[in-house]
Amino acid sequence: MYRKLLERKGYFFLGFIALWYALSKIFFDKATWELGIADNTSFTNVVGDAAGAISGNRTHSPFFVYFFNPIRLFINGFVDIIRNLIATPSNGHAAPTIGWLGVIAILAFITLATSRIRMAILVITFLLGCGALGMWADTMDTLAMTLAAVLLSLAIGIPCGIWAGLSDRVLKLFTPILDLAQILPTMVYLAPLALFFMIGEASATIATMIYSVPISIRITSHAIRSLNFSPVEASISMGATKKQTLSKVQLPMAKQMIVLGVNQTVMAALSFVVIAALIAAPGLGKPVISALTIQNTGRGFVAGLAVVLVAIMLDRATSAAAMKQKAFIPPTESEKRRKRLNVSIAGAVALGATIASHFVTALGNFPDNFDIATPISNATNSFVNFLVNDVSFLTVGFKDIISIRVLNPIEDMLARAPWFMTLTMFVIAALVLAGKRIAFLTFVLLSAIAATGLWFDAMITLTQTIVATLLTMIVGVALGIWVGRSKRADSLLRPFLDAGQTMPAFVYLVPILGLFGPTRFTAIATGIVYSIPVVVKIVGEGIRSVPESMIEAATAAGSNVRQIITKVQLPASKRALMLAANQGMIFVLAVIVIGGFVGSGGLGYIVIMGSSKPELQGKGLVAGFVILLLGVAIDRVAQAASRRA
Amino acid sequence: MKLTSRRKIALASSVMISAFAMTATFQSSSKAADCGTWGIAMHAWNGYTASAQVVTEVAKAQGCTINQSTLTEGGTTYDAMEAGTTDVIIEDWGGGRWQKWTDRGAVVLVGANGNVGKIGMFVAPWMVKKYPGITNSKNLNKYASLFKTADSGGKGAWFEGPPGYTTIGEKMIKANKLKFKAIATGSEAALISTITKAEKNKKPALIYWWEPSTLFVKVPGLDKARVNFPKNDWSDAAKASGLTDYPATPLEKLATKKLMDSGSVFAKIVKNFKWTNADQNAVAADIEGGMTPEKAAQKWIKAHPAQVKAWLA
Repeated sequence: MYRKLLERKGYFFLGFIALWYALSKIFFDKATWELGIADNTSFTNVVGDAAGAISGNRTHSPFFVYFFNPIRLFINGFVDIIRNLIATPSNGHAAPTIGWLGVIAILAFITLATSRIRMAILVITFLLGCGALGMWADTMDTLAMTLAAVLLSLAIGIPCGIWAGLSDRVLKLFTPILDLAQILPTMVYLAPLALFFMIGEASATIATMIYSVPISIRITSHAIRSLNFSPVEASISMGATKKQTLSKVQLPMAKQMIVLGVNQTVMAALSFVVIAALIAAPGLGKPVISALTIQNTGRGFVAGLAVVLVAIMLDRATSAAAMKQKAFIPPTESEKRRKRLNVSIAGAVALGATIASHFVTALGNFPDNFDIATPISNATNSFVNFLVNDVSFLTVGFKDIISIRVLNPIEDMLARAPWFMTLTMFVIAALVLAGKRIAFLTFVLLSAIAATGLWFDAMITLTQTIVATLLTMIVGVALGIWVGRSKRADSLLRPFLDAGQTMPAFVYLVPILGLFGPTRFTAIATGIVYSIPVVVKIVGEGIRSVPESMIEAATAAGSNVRQIITKVQLPASKRALMLAANQGMIFVLAVIVIGGFVGSGGLGYIVIMGSSKPELQGKGLVAGFVILLLGVAIDRVAQAASRRA
Repeated sequence: MKLTSRRKIALASSVMISAFAMTATFQSSSKAADCGTWGIAMHAWNGYTASAQVVTEVAKAQGCTINQSTLTEGGTTYDAMEAGTTDVIIEDWGGGRWQKWTDRGAVVLVGANGNVGKIGMFVAPWMVKKYPGITNSKNLNKYASLFKTADSGGKGAWFEGPPGYTTIGEKMIKANKLKFKAIATGSEAALISTITKAEKNKKPALIYWWEPSTLFVKVPGLDKARVNFPKNDWSDAAKASGLTDYPATPLEKLATKKLMDSGSVFAKIVKNFKWTNADQNAVAADIEGGMTPEKAAQKWIKAHPAQVKAWLA
């Protein structure tokens, strides 16, 4: 019965899309609200004037003098303290206060104290690696920025997380804000932040925090909530106050999860390194961005490699520290003593190295006489040249097929039809797929987009997001099935998936640009590369969690491999597939916006343009807001649809 | 236990003693002169890098500490200067878009840097011979269909400059009544890859580009592939219907008021810095040839001592 209904729904949808397509052909290029690149609407003009008024008031309005400026100065000061310590030469000194040897010694010491010696060796090797790549100073800037953002994030995130962990009301209040912060493409809030906190370290730090604080709140509250209730109950029944229960029972029990939260916060902050360089954050993002604009893929790759090294190092070190909290067998007295001795020797060595690195310039500034960056960068460049010159005839052909057969028809349907028609069709689709409530929400969000006057560009961006998500799902599900079914495939692909998730998208933007030229498809291809790892991981996990007994039963009934996949494993992991599609789409949207740098046009291009051209500042801000509306609409519909599935 | 803790102390103290001993012998003698620490904005294009790097190297030789920060041009950088994040723009193309910031006082216009910018539209050089008259804007429509791509909606593709650069493509298309569509490219890299590939594979392309630039060395014949548009006619403001071409722009230097009032050597260097398009191209070509910006700048400085001395006077 249910199956039949679903099949009928399928037919309905085919018919619906055919009707939509036909209508869009009939009313082609009418009431599209297409806007010239340099044209403003009355609404964007109003926003532009408001932004102008805000930046004009930064020196004397009380809001700035007593609120924004103190925050900015405090964060700038905080970041500068850390940077002077490890990254930039301090006053009257040729090297930072703590030189390279000292930094390596201290970090290795901290790792040793919180986990194992193997981890400390890994930290030393990776830091030396960053130095050998010629990226020491930028790596230190990145570490300093990350450290500042993480400390501030935890200072806010852990208390808020505990609060949300203890009170349902607070959690309910936080949840929508946290959801929003996580689906918001990062490019979107750079410009508004810069308006209030100006271009510089403070804005970059706050932008990073917007991304990392929610994660820290979420994991902390989850840690408190997932505790076994009986010790808590016992503590209360023994007459402990709420405060005592929290500090003596709940927090110690949740410690491991909270340290895991630190790990996730660090990773979130690190993923922001490159994009924050757009608002003058010092660090590894700078060489990546400039490699994009002057097309030196090799240099960008070297910097990207350093980002990956730092990411792996921080990930391993912090998760090892989290694992250590888990050990249930208490160490013996002699083990404890040995460890204490090792740690104190290491501490003494680290102290000595730190002091030495402060006074000896050779130990302060990383030596630049062994250079592995140039060969790596040259090799990358010649590989990319080979791709661009000898493979691109294939890729350009593929690009043209997708552009003409898929991209253009969908763009005709969504963007080049009358706006009210597209809007109506979307609301009907949401009604059938996700129900009345979501349909109403879709109506409100899309109407808001139409009201801004950027409807056409929003539809261009949406088209690219849809096409990229479709392609991602085709490749991602295939790989996910493979990974889910074979352990070998999993261990073969995992390093690539991990690297793909930490490598900043800007790094592979340039080679993809070489392959496809400045076109909409370049942005789509980048979006696919960026979102495939998360789709593969979710789908693989879904396939793997299908109960063994179901597969055995199917095999016993004589099903072949294809039948097992299509009739058992895929239907049973339907939820995972829907989740993958949802996540994939949010990831894709974030990158399609960055695609404004390589010819995607649409909202991303307007955001980038708004940050440079004062006369289009308002339009850029509005475009950012429209991306936000689009993201929320996509996320809500996809989630509701997956709940129904 | 006793032994180990004694060993610990011994180890720690020996490390410290050796550290301090080294201090005594190696204590760095570098004492920064009173130039101070200043910032210079780094914009994306190669020519800019050349100018900014030369200024940086000259200032460093005078004992200044110079922080280079990668920033997109225009509003972003003016904001950064107002915030104190950076102090100097050595080459600005924006003909007055800094007005709001200079009016507020934190940013000041320092003067021309000697370079003259000329933006224009260029076809792939091989087309000049094959399609006679293509560099005359009047003939462009005749060839428009050659430039069609999957992205240009049935018209010729007009590859527009990066989002932050001065671009009037849509206005030019309208004023010159062309059957072209302005395509957003996004970055200098996108334009370079478009024109070099078009030239190599003998495919048509029409791109936004500018002088001074070293792309003219990399893509031979590009200088003869500029499309000539009718000059903007401002003689009768009422008659002028729209912008038909980019005007030649003297490029400007901007700096923070704080720097210019400081009396620092760096302020003097920024104020006096002036060179020609040929100078900039020489340094930019070295950078593009694989030299680091530092080395390329040093090379030029060594070869032009008189000019550098004049900036310091």
